[in-house]
This record gives sequence, structure tokens and C-alpha cells, in this order.
Amino acid sequence: MRYKLPFYLFLLLFQISFAQDMLISGTVIDDQGVPLPGANIVIKGTSTGTQSDFDGNYSINSAKGQVLVFSYVGFETQEITVASSNVINVQMAVGGTTLETVVITGYSRRSQTVTASSTVSIGAAEIAELSPVTSIDNLLQGKAAGVQVTAANGKPGQGAFVRIRGVGSLTAGASSPLYVVDGAVIDETDLAAIPNEDIENISVLKDAAQTAIYGSRGASGVVIITTKKGKRDSDGTVRFSSRFGVSSRIKPNFTMMNAEQKLQYESELFALGVSAAGNLPGVTTTPGSPERQFLLDHEVDWEDLILQQGIIQNNNVSFSGGSEKTDYFFSVGHDRNTGIIDQISGFERVSTRLNLGFDVKEWLKLSVTAGFSRSTSDEPRDRNNVQNPFRAYFDYNPYETEFLLDENGSVILDENGKPVYNPTHTTFNVRGALLSEPAFTVQNTWLASVSADVSLIKNVTYTFSTGLNATNNRFESYSKPGGILDSIIGDPNNPGNKLDTGNYNLDMTISNRLNYNLEAGKHTFDVVGLFEYNTNEFNGYRIRSIGFPSAELTTQSNSTQVTDWNTTRNILTLISYGAFANYDYDQKYLASASVRYDGSSNFGADNQFGLFYSGSLGWNVAKENFFNVNAVDDLKLYVSYGTTGSRAGISRYAPQGNVSYATYPGGLATNPSNLENPELKWETTTTQNAGLELNMFNNRFNLVTDYFIRTTEDLLFSVPLADESGFQSIAGNLGKIENKGLEITVSADVFRTSDFRWTLGGNIIFLDHEILELPDGEDVTPGSAFNILWREGAKINEHFLVRYAGVDPATGAPLYYGADGNKYRAFDLPEDEDENRVLQGKSTIADKEGGFFTNVKYKGFGLRADFVFKAGNWINNFVKSNLISDGFNIDDNQAVDAFNYWRKPGDTNVYPSPLISQDELGAINSDRFLEKGDYIRMRNITFSYDFADNVLDHLPFKSLRLYVQGQNLLTFSKFFGDPEVGISSGETISYAASVAPGEATLYSYPNTKSIQVGLDVSF
Amino acid sequence: MRKISTIFMFVVALGLFTSCDNNLDQLPFDEFATDNAFITAQDFENGIRGVYLQLTAGGFYGGSDAGSMLSAPDVMSDNATLSQYGRTTKRTLHNFQYNANSTLLGTYRNCYRLIYQANQILLYAESFEGESKDNIVGEAKALRALAHFNLVAYFGKIPTQSNDANSSLGIAYVTDADVTIEPSRMTVQETYAMILDDLLDAKSKINASNPEGRLNKNGVNLLLSRVYLYMGQWQNAIDAANAVSTQVAARANVVGVWEDTSEDGLVFWIPNDAPTLGNNIGVTWSQGGVTSLIPEYVASFELTNLYDDGNDIRKDAYIFAGSVTSQGITTNFNGIKKLFARPGGQPGVVDYKILRAAEAFLNKAEAYYNLGNESAARQALDAVRSKRYLTPPSGETGAALLDAIRLERRLEFAFEYQRFFDLKRWGLPVQRSNAGDVADGSGTPSDVLSLPAGSNKFQLPIAQESLDVNPNLQQNPGY
Repeated sequence: MRYKLPFYLFLLLFQISFAQDMLISGTVIDDQGVPLPGANIVIKGTSTGTQSDFDGNYSINSAKGQVLVFSYVGFETQEITVASSNVINVQMAVGGTTLETVVITGYSRRSQTVTASSTVSIGAAEIAELSPVTSIDNLLQGKAAGVQVTAANGKPGQGAFVRIRGVGSLTAGASSPLYVVDGAVIDETDLAAIPNEDIENISVLKDAAQTAIYGSRGASGVVIITTKKGKRDSDGTVRFSSRFGVSSRIKPNFTMMNAEQKLQYESELFALGVSAAGNLPGVTTTPGSPERQFLLDHEVDWEDLILQQGIIQNNNVSFSGGSEKTDYFFSVGHDRNTGIIDQISGFERVSTRLNLGFDVKEWLKLSVTAGFSRSTSDEPRDRNNVQNPFRAYFDYNPYETEFLLDENGSVILDENGKPVYNPTHTTFNVRGALLSEPAFTVQNTWLASVSADVSLIKNVTYTFSTGLNATNNRFESYSKPGGILDSIIGDPNNPGNKLDTGNYNLDMTISNRLNYNLEAGKHTFDVVGLFEYNTNEFNGYRIRSIGFPSAELTTQSNSTQVTDWNTTRNILTLISYGAFANYDYDQKYLASASVRYDGSSNFGADNQFGLFYSGSLGWNVAKENFFNVNAVDDLKLYVSYGTTGSRAGISRYAPQGNVSYATYPGGLATNPSNLENPELKWETTTTQNAGLELNMFNNRFNLVTDYFIRTTEDLLFSVPLADESGFQSIAGNLGKIENKGLEITVSADVFRTSDFRWTLGGNIIFLDHEILELPDGEDVTPGSAFNILWREGAKINEHFLVRYAGVDPATGAPLYYGADGNKYRAFDLPEDEDENRVLQGKSTIADKEGGFFTNVKYKGFGLRADFVFKAGNWINNFVKSNLISDGFNIDDNQAVDAFNYWRKPGDTNVYPSPLISQDELGAINSDRFLEKGDYIRMRNITFSYDFADNVLDHLPFKSLRLYVQGQNLLTFSKFFGDPEVGISSGETISYAASVAPGEATLYSYPNTKSIQVGLDVSF
Repeated sequence: MRKISTIFMFVVALGLFTSCDNNLDQLPFDEFATDNAFITAQDFENGIRGVYLQLTAGGFYGGSDAGSMLSAPDVMSDNATLSQYGRTTKRTLHNFQYNANSTLLGTYRNCYRLIYQANQILLYAESFEGESKDNIVGEAKALRALAHFNLVAYFGKIPTQSNDANSSLGIAYVTDADVTIEPSRMTVQETYAMILDDLLDAKSKINASNPEGRLNKNGVNLLLSRVYLYMGQWQNAIDAANAVSTQVAARANVVGVWEDTSEDGLVFWIPNDAPTLGNNIGVTWSQGGVTSLIPEYVASFELTNLYDDGNDIRKDAYIFAGSVTSQGITTNFNGIKKLFARPGGQPGVVDYKILRAAEAFLNKAEAYYNLGNESAARQALDAVRSKRYLTPPSGETGAALLDAIRLERRLEFAFEYQRFFDLKRWGLPVQRSNAGDVADGSGTPSDVLSLPAGSNKFQLPIAQESLDVNPNLQQNPGY
């Protein structure tokens, strides 16, 4: 574009000067420096306006002091006051704070102006600025009112728990939104397959008026991800972005004991009667003895030993552009995040994508998207036992050494001359096991779509599209012959144990749409008819064998004996018929309606189909003639009502009574594998929404607020059965829940001049939820949770525990409240029918959640900080209970806080005395460690510099941006440990099985903080 | 041209609109309808094996860390001492610290799962007229009785335990394959009556011999003998024991029985071989090898010394000298050998031995003693002792004879799922010595050294989770 400059100079020389009016001209370019054809330029307060031409050039007659308003769909509107210069060049910034936000609903793109519901859209520029370390779903946190995000854990590549407008279902997995990438449905767990750099837009549909379009699967909201396209009629742009950084565990707000403290603690507790301390070195060695000194001399910082500083690397190149009838976008990317565990390699992803668009005929347009990614991830044990490295560094005592030592302190070597790992008191050395028990996942993901738009007759188009998501996963875990685990549980005759599991998963959607459009005067009307078929096929395998000749031979070709094998297959299908209509009159009165009829294969034969519908009305008051408030650009009021369905959380053959077979000496053994329930049908969610959208002061101030009531009935869940039935649950449809909430999103340009801009913004949801009905009104104890109880009238996911009443100052014993409200010692609690456990309105779900940001731009400099916050949720802090265990875990290391136990009558604000019998101390499952999960965390802070045009003139670049970014650098919380809790322990309650994410802390991968430097360049 | 393309696209669209409605009717690939699964004689063989398979579940005779039929009766007794060198699993059981939130829930669930599957077979067997029908029904009822018997032994009182036992809370006896039930608990007396009904019917129907891993008439008679003994019906216990034809294992074979090289004296056992089973059940007592032992529990110092070394072959068969070396210090243990390993084999993988002939004789000895027939009691006792000792003790009378019978039962069935129930039904306390967990009696003793006779803790609590899902279920007193 540089060659244009002499032309501007030429124009300057020939400026024409009228008395009042002058001809203003210039070029409108986008954020990447590419000319923007068709941008609107209007003189504010008049109807005079023009559009930029093909090269982004424009000219308009205007007078000094008048304000020119530049606007373009998808970019922030800019206003520039005409001064003495009659050349005004404008670079438009991508942004979401304009009226002209495009709402991508998957079946259409609509301007926010004519949409009567609330949607959140996150564009490429913002995604680039936030560059999440883990998966893109983490990015949604704090970005959209009503979208609650809990990081599952800190493992590189791990997804998050995303809940839109509360927990919409009581079944594990069913509360996650539907993710659609270019028309292909994708699992939440597969989101890590998509590199951030390929994403053009993420739209979050919350309201039934839009989610109803997805009918059967939209009940928990829909997240639509659109990948980038090339720009027609533009030169090719090459874009390169690169980041490099380091990560580490977020330091907790407590300290573990050092060797000296732990040894002292052991002897103190032994003296109090904790007999288990008797064979620990704090008792068996005396202070000052050579044996004690030996222990102190060989002190180990286990956290330091087991963890490392992680490396984060990201490189991405893309080429995009287009001619009159074609466009292309091609990218290649590489991501690496080693994670924070020493000895293993973490997460790595390579990805590539090609998106193409063609105008084949005047009446036929084709577009193709195709992305491939391959990621590998090491899988350390995420289990609440000695094999978990994140538990190990808490449990191992600092006086225990990594390797066995002889009396001189020298490392003992085995017969091969290798150091012998110290099994520690846990009998299992994680450092050695990380090497001898490798486990990893490889995932190949193909995401592809093809769509053809055919103009049939006037106003009628037909669209045929397919979306395809094929994933191929492989998990391998190997207990090397002679390794740590093999020597404990292996078969000496068949050393080594290898497990291979994997699956091939295909999700395909075929969609046919007929679209009728009519614009007549001020009336705009369109209607879409839909027929869609979706199928999801899963094929899995699992093989385990033992007996390996060498640790170096890792495939099962060389094993002596296969001990476990299977292959599995299952299919889920969905057939949908739908009709969606939109109408607006002069963008002033808006209306929409939808109906969708969906049949799914996982319901009973007579209950396969469900009918879902929605309607919305909107009124943009500011467009009325009588509305005459200058400061207000838009004032839109809207209401909507709609129903959506869910089929998630039940097995694919849930209504059928089935058996499968295992083996028993003599032959096959029949196993009842599924209980019959032919009544099984759709879970239905009804959402009512009322909202207001206000834009003021030429869009410098924006406010969107929504109030919703969302009721879900015929809940699909595992209805508990009496244990005497022989089963714990059956898939059924029972119960009703309600989520109500107020969402507020505000943003404002506090300062806005040509050089300096300061934007502040934020959003919050106030959420209220209740269980309205349960089967027969009876309480339900969900599986896959620890101490959650569901009760009619209570909140969803309340903790159900005996109330802890503190330590008795007279005796040091822990006290608890009985059902009668009096304080008791553990064994004196009332034993009658009255339940001592209570619901206290303390739920795992935050009732206030959101985010806020500040973004300052001065010339090329930018400083942006994004905060996320959460309040009102309660977490049962099991880790704390293990670290301050009153002597119960005396052989494990403890937090320094554990010293703060009751020592003499009158002591208050202390932990119970280990003097009290372990029997009594451990008797009651109380809320002693139930803590508020409130926190504010600075998720991101970025300092950046965009090189100015005059510098770039001397460089071969169109744009150049450098930045430093920190993530999770600041946290404000009173919680003991990290308050961002998702998975407690992945092998106790897996990501997929969690019904109450964040209920409790255990030892899942900790969250990390990072500092990165990066560069974005295009030419 | 334009027109043709338009028509073409319409046709394609219409075709797609109408092509795939029947795709909604999906059948599974990895399983099939229950009604298909109980038709032929082979189906019933598969079905009954499915019931037996439940015996190997973690909470039943499997090695669950939470405790199981396999481990809890010894963990809660004076036979085992918690080791400080293992993972301290089952500690709440060992210390009698269990409560409604920490009890043998797995065992409870596994037993009822077995009962459902037995009931399912019995339901389908009603419309099956094959030759094997009686045997299948007999096995299903025997297994159903065994599961209920185990449950009531843990969660209820034993009739001979105390005077109020028969009228106290038993368990729900389930005879229908109906998953919607919410039954309440019967009395102990009613429960035992149902167990007897099932076992007597099983006795009349089951084959005299069945394939490996399955019960036969001897097994049912041995179970009957035990049930009668628990009920205090001494003559019935004797008669049932007499109907067991299997002989006590010869002394020369005792070690081999526990190393899986001999089947002498076994009445009911399940081969535990990969890939059919191959479960590491021994993890319940220890992990690792002889010199790298990670014991969860060790044989109590007291029990170890009760075996007359060199004279009583069981010392070699049941207990082994294990050790571990850490930080240069070697610690020796009285390892529990019964589930340890086949010689040189994978740790913890041995056959499940569930019923042995020696019990018939010891049941008989005890029953005769209670009937006042000391000579017959001694004779039955000696039938076991003569095959265990080089020079067996003999000739006791009166209280000494009762002590000898009880001692022999402890020695014979140590770590074989009897001791806690025996103490319980005799109305005796659990009394542990204060010796430690190391081979020479040093080390750390058990935290809790006794459970007084009459303690409510002899009846385990029903899990809170079970109470939560069945409003008709009543908790045991004291929890």
C-alpha cells in the first residue's frame, strides 16, 4: 500500500477550498492495513454520506468542525472531527463494541442491529491478545456475561468446564454447551485441537431465541467457532506470529514443613499419643544426634525436585488473500507447552488448515474448510494416590531422599550401577515412576466442511453443507519391566505391562437449507427451512499384555501374554426438521420465530422425536422519530421465549435392557449391562429472556443487560436405585430445575482521542438456582460427587455435611452441631432418625461470576489487563484436611499450620488436639474444611507495541507488533491453596463424569502462571 | 442451463430429505437384548457363570482396598496387625472406626448385585425346561443364599451371639429381579429362615459334581452346616457336615493347597488365571516380593506364635518370613502367605479358595461339643489335627476341649474369612496383644487393642449412601 502515499501528497497540493465546505478525502484501511471497500462515512447529524470505493478511497464534502463517522461491519466505529487538513486516513480497529456486530448463528450471519437477543462475539483480534495457555474454552472466562468457566486443571491442553447461564442439567456432561466449528460438531474435550490463530470468531448463543435453532442440542447454550477466510480482491498477506515463555506452578498461600519442623511435629504428636508416629525419625532419632543431623543434611525440597519451569512455545504462519471470485486462507502452526513436571514432555501440537471459497457460477458459491491437527500429551497419573506427582510433593517428607543412601550419605547403586530410588514411606517413588511408567495420548483431528450455496430463483437460495469431525485418539501406558510399579505388582515371570487404548470417532452433519429472502420497502423478511442429519460413530479398542524383553521395546508385538482386550462400537444419530423466520421493519421492530422437530436414536422407540420452538420481539426505541435524545445512539428492548432439548449424559442405548459377556472359568459369563427404560425421552429447557441494549455517546458507552429464567424439566439423569436392587442407578427422566439470572455487560471508552484511548469494561452474572422437583420428592445423592445432595427447594449442588463447631477450648476435642443445633463431641452426636448433616445453601456453583478489563492505547503502545472473578461457591478442601490432619497422616508431610493445634485449656482459634483419639478425630465428615471459593485473578496482562506506519515505511512489513504477556500473575483469595478448582482428581471423578466440578480439592494438575514474549508480523 | 441445474438441485435436496428416517433405530454392537440371553441351555450356563463372576468382585472375594469378604473378617480380628510399612488400607476397619460414611459398602453392593443376577436367572428359568434346569436353579439359590448369609453376618447379629439376636435387625432378603424395590430389613430369624429355604432347595436340585469354579452338593452341604452352626441347630449342623464327602487335605498337601499345586480338601474354589481372571487379590495383604515386601497387614505376633513351629504344617503354609530394606535398614515381617503368590508367580495372584472340607469337621466338633457328646467332638477335631501336626495334641475334655476346638478353628481358618464371625457368634471380644507389626513383636502395635463383647461395632453400620436411597432401610443401633 506504500505506493499510495505520493497520491495523497498529490491530493494535498490540489486541495480545493470553498468558503465553508471543503472536500475531505482519504483511505479507509482495516487493522491489517488492507483497504476496506464499502465503509460508511457519514457526517454526523446529517443524512449526508458516502462509501469508500474499491481501493478504500473516499471523498466527501464537509465543513470544518463537523464530525465524520466511519463505520464498517465488524469494526469499531470511529469519529473524527474535521480540522484544517482535508485528508483523513482512517485505520479501523476490529472490535465488539459496535452496533454492527455480526451474530453468527451457524445457519446465518446477522447484524446485531436486527437481532432481538443477547449474543456474545469474540473476534480474532481479541483472541490474539488473550492467547490462552491451555484450551480455547478457557478464553471464554470473564469475556461473556452469563458464561461461567472453571478451568478443569492446569494441565497443558486441558479444557475447561463451561456453563452458560447456570447448570442446565443434573447429568454429567450435559451441562456443557454445544460446540460447532464451521458446521461440524466437536466435543468439548477436542477443543485443544484448534489453534487460536485459525479462529476468526467465537460466538456464544445463550438465549433460546437463538439456541432453539439448534433445537435438540442447544439447551446448555451453543458456542460457534468460525475459522478464518481470505479477503477477496486483495493481495496475499503473510502473517507470522510467535510466542515464547515460561510457566510455573502458582505458588500456594501456605507453607509445608521443612525437615526440622516435621521431625519436631512427629515427636510432639508421639508424646500426645499418636502411636503411628512411633517408627518415624522424629521419634526414633533424638535432636542433636548424628542420625538426626544426617536427615537434616540430606533435606530435599520435593516440590522443587518433582516440578520444573515449563516452556511455552508457539509459532504460526498464515497466507491469505483472494481474487474477485476466490479467497484462500492457509495456515501452519506449532505449539509446545512442556508443563511443569520434570522428567516428562507435556503437550505438543502441530496443525494446518486450508479454507477456500469460490464463486463457481453466478448462481453457485462453494466454500471448503479443512483443518488437521495432531497433538501429543504426556499423561501423568491424576489420581488420589501415591502415583500422582502432585500428591507426592505434599506427602514426601523433606528428610526423605530421592535415592537410597548408605551410612556415608552416598547414593546406593543397583547391580547395573544405576542409583536406587528411595521408595519413601509411601512405598512408591514418583521421580522414578515418571520415567518407568510413561503414559501419553496422541490425538489426530480432522475438521472439515463443504458448503454450496445455490441461487435457485429470485429470493430463494438453497444451501447444502456437510461438516465433518474425525478424531483418532491413542492412549498408551507402559509399566516398564523392572520399573517402580512392575517391581511392586508385576508378574516376575512376565515383567512389564503395556496398555494400548484408542478410538476412531466420526461426527458428520449433512444439512440442507432452503432460504427465502424478501426486502420490500422497509420490510425485511427471511425464512429458512432445514433438514439435517447427524451421525456419530465411535470405534474403540483396548489391549493389554505382559511379559516384555526390554524396557526399550514398547509395542505389544514382543509381549508374552495378552491379558485384556476388547473392541467396541456405538452409533448415535439425529434427524432434524426445522423452520426459522426473521422479520424487521426498518430495523425498528424486530421479530423472529423458530420451530424444530428432532429425533434421536438414544430414546425409547415411541419417544424419539421432540418439538422445540422459540419466538422473540424487539424494539429499537432510538430509531423512533419521537425519540429525541441525542446522546443515545440505540436503545433496544427485547423479549424472547423458547424451548430447547438435551439428549446428553445418557448412554447411546440407554432405553434398552441389554446384557454383555465377560469370562469366568469354564466359559462366558453373562453380565446385565444396561437396565431397560423405554420411557426415556428428551430433557427440555424453557428459557424466558428480557433484555436491553443501550449505546450512547456515539458508541463510546455500551450497556447490555439481560434477565432470564431458565427451567429444565424431564431431566435426564441416573435415577438412584436402592442398593438392595443390585444396581445403583437407571437412566431416567425426572425432576425439574431452574436457573434465574441477571447479566450485565458494560464497556466505555473513558478517553478517546486519535492518539490515546482508554477502554474499561466488564461483565457479571448474578445467578440464582433451585431444584424444583425430584423423583417422588425424595433427596438424591448423585454419583460421581463426594458430599453433594440434591433436595427440592435447595440450590443445585449444595454440600451436605455435618456442621463443624470448632474446638472445645476445655478439652481440645472437635465439636459438631447436632440436628438439634447443640454442640457435641463426635461420639455424642444425636443418633436418632434426625440427620446431623445439613444443607446450608452452600453450593459448588458461583452465584456471581464475570470479568473486567482495562485497555489503554497510546499511539502504538498498548497495556491491557483482564481480570476474572468468581464468588459465592464453596469448595471442600480435602487437600487442606490432608495437610492439617491432626495426626491422622502423621507419616506424610504436613503444612506448617498443623502446629497450630490445641495445647492447653482455653486455647481458641486452633485445630483439634492430636491428643484426642484418632477414632474420634476421624469420625465425622464435617464442613470443617469447606471454604469459600471467592477469588479475583488477573488472568492476563499484556504490554504491546504496534509499530507506526511511518516506521513500517522503512521496513518490509505491513504491520509489526511486539508484546510481553503475563498470565495468572496475581490472585486475590482467602482460600487455602489455589481457588480455581475444577477436577479434584481425574481418576476419582473424571472430567467427563463430573456433575459438580469444583466440589473438592484433591491433587489434579495445578494451575500455572506464565510470562511470554511474542511478535506478530504481516507483510 | 440455469433451469436444469435448479431442478437437479431440487432433486438432490428431496432425496436427502427422505433418505434416512430409519437411521434412528439403532441397536448396540457390544451387547444385546436381555430377552435374547436366556433361551438355550448354553445361555443358562453363561448366565450362572455370570452370577459366580460376582464372587470375584472387589467387595466380595476380591481384594478391594476398602475391605471385602476376603479380608475384613481377619482385619477386624486378632489375626492381623496393621503394618506401618504399607498403605494403611482398611485402617478404619482394623481400628473399629467405621461409621455410616466408611463401612463395607462395596461388599453390600456386590452381594446384592449377585443376588439380582441369581434372581434374573431364576426368573428366566421358569420358562426353561432343559435337562440342566434343576442344577441351574440349585446353583442360583445356593449363591443367593451365600450372598445373603455374608450380608447378615456382617450387618446383623448371629443367632448364637446373644439372646436378643433372633429378633434384632437382619437384612432385606431379595428374591425378585426387580430394580424398583425399596425393601426393609427382616429380623435375623426371618433372614436365616430364608437362607435355609434356599440352601435346602439348592441341596435337592444341585448336581453332585459341577465344573471347576462352581458349587456342587458338597458345597451346599458345607454351607448348610455353617448356617446351622450359626443358628445353634447343632444336630442339623452335624448332619449337613456328614453329607460332605470331601476329605480333609493330607498334611503333605497343605502347603501345596496354598501354592495352587494341590486341590486336596477343596470343596469350592475358583481358578484365578489370566486371561480369564488373573486378579491380584493378594494386594489386600501385601505387595512386592519376599525381600521387598510392602505389607498392608502382617500375621499378628500372637497368632504366629500359636502355630507350633516344626510340628504344625500350617506355620509354613500360612505365614512366611518377609522383609524390606529401606535406608539401609532391613525390617522383617510375619507375612501373610495365603494370598501371597504362586511360587515365582505374579504377586497376589492365587486361586480363590472359598470352602474347604476341614470346616465340616470343625463344625461337627463344635456342634457335638454343644450337644454334650465330647468323644464325637474330639473325634471330629482329631480328624483335622491328625492331618496338620506331626504329633497332634489330643485328649482334651470339658472346657479345654472347647478351647481346643476354637483354637483349631482359628489356626485352620486364619485369613480365611471366619475369625471375626467366630468371635462374634461365640459372644467373645476381639482381644489383641500389644505386640508390634515387626516379626519379633517390636514395631507399632495396633491402635485399638480390643473390641468388647456386646459392642454394637460387631454389627457393621449400613452405609449412609444406602440409607439415602432406600427410605425403608433402618440403621443399626449405635451409628
